[in-house]
Amino acid sequence: MTYDKNSKKIVDIIQNFARKHSLWILAYGTGCGAIEVPPTMTSRYDGERFGLRGAATPRQADVLLITGYLATKTLKRVIRTYEQMQSPKYVIGFGSCTINGGMYWDSYNTIKALDRYLPVDVYINGCMPRPESVISGFIKLQQLISEGKANGAEKYQKNLEWYRENQKKVIHNWKMPDYNW
Amino acid sequence: MHIQDCTENTCVDQIQKIFHTAEVEIQRKKRVKVKLRLDLVPLFLSYARDYLNFKHLAHISCVDWIEENEFELIFMLWSYEASLMIMVKTRVNREKPEFITLSHLWPQAETYEREIHEMYGINFKGNERLGEFILEDWEGVPPMRRDFDTIKYSKENFYQRPGREDAQDVRETISKHSGEEVPDFAKEFSIRRIEE
Repeated sequence: MTYDKNSKKIVDIIQNFARKHSLWILAYGTGCGAIEVPPTMTSRYDGERFGLRGAATPRQADVLLITGYLATKTLKRVIRTYEQMQSPKYVIGFGSCTINGGMYWDSYNTIKALDRYLPVDVYINGCMPRPESVISGFIKLQQLISEGKANGAEKYQKNLEWYRENQKKVIHNWKMPDYNW
Repeated sequence: MHIQDCTENTCVDQIQKIFHTAEVEIQRKKRVKVKLRLDLVPLFLSYARDYLNFKHLAHISCVDWIEENEFELIFMLWSYEASLMIMVKTRVNREKPEFITLSHLWPQAETYEREIHEMYGINFKGNERLGEFILEDWEGVPPMRRDFDTIKYSKENFYQRPGREDAQDVRETISKHSGEEVPDFAKEFSIRRIEE
């Protein structure tokens, strides 16, 4: 089936409807923001109302939450994790560190702009974002999915060379498998 | 001789009786500061562990005194019986920073030494696990040394998203509020360098 962006078939509408109501989050906390995820998921804010759930492995997950600063060492693992995830997959940049470095703007070991290395669908700003804003970020993602605009994975495939170039600029010792897209 | 109820004063007396060159000082309640020559430190630490009952090595830390061309190593020991902490301070030459490992006295010293080796480049002789620890594929000056320019490094290696030019310098803001003066060494690390 060829995918045409302009034509919105009824299949797509049903698919996107189903996708947006079951977003499985990979339980992988990279920075301090991971501490805001448990309150989002537990009884007070109850993220499961929106179909958010934790997933154990990258291959079962739909959403990669980058919770906070990313050290270059972690970035390597995050890239591998992201590439192992199955489409449809979405990335949420969480906290100001992923946007412009946050308080780590002069650090020798953290990246300053996540969207140079991974395709980000939604950014949630704040340091730290409260569970309310996390949920509002997820609702934004759900809107994008239902409109068919959350196509970060396609962007990554198309511009893989540009992303790779940026990634290799930061990760000097690149010992990773090149996936056959 | 084990001192069961060792207080700050008896501890200072004990140390000064045996180590004449040590500069011992009670910093505050429960804190004793000992400054020692480098070659006496292993001797002193084993004495403190076995005779003064400082059984627990809480931390090894390092300070870069670039103006004096020295590194300062600080060993923190804790005594459970006396609930007393002593800090043992010593200076290492910065040109060729070397010390011996303490992992025969405390196994956990190995980890602290690995970190100090990675962040400051001090070689602990006898520690076989020195090498890559927290940083990955790091080349060049160890990052916690003061001659390592972290702003320059992050500007060269990472993409900086524009829009932070109006960020305030924390030091200047604090000094404005409290009326304190910014020390000279801090002035040169001002945030303004980003705008250059």
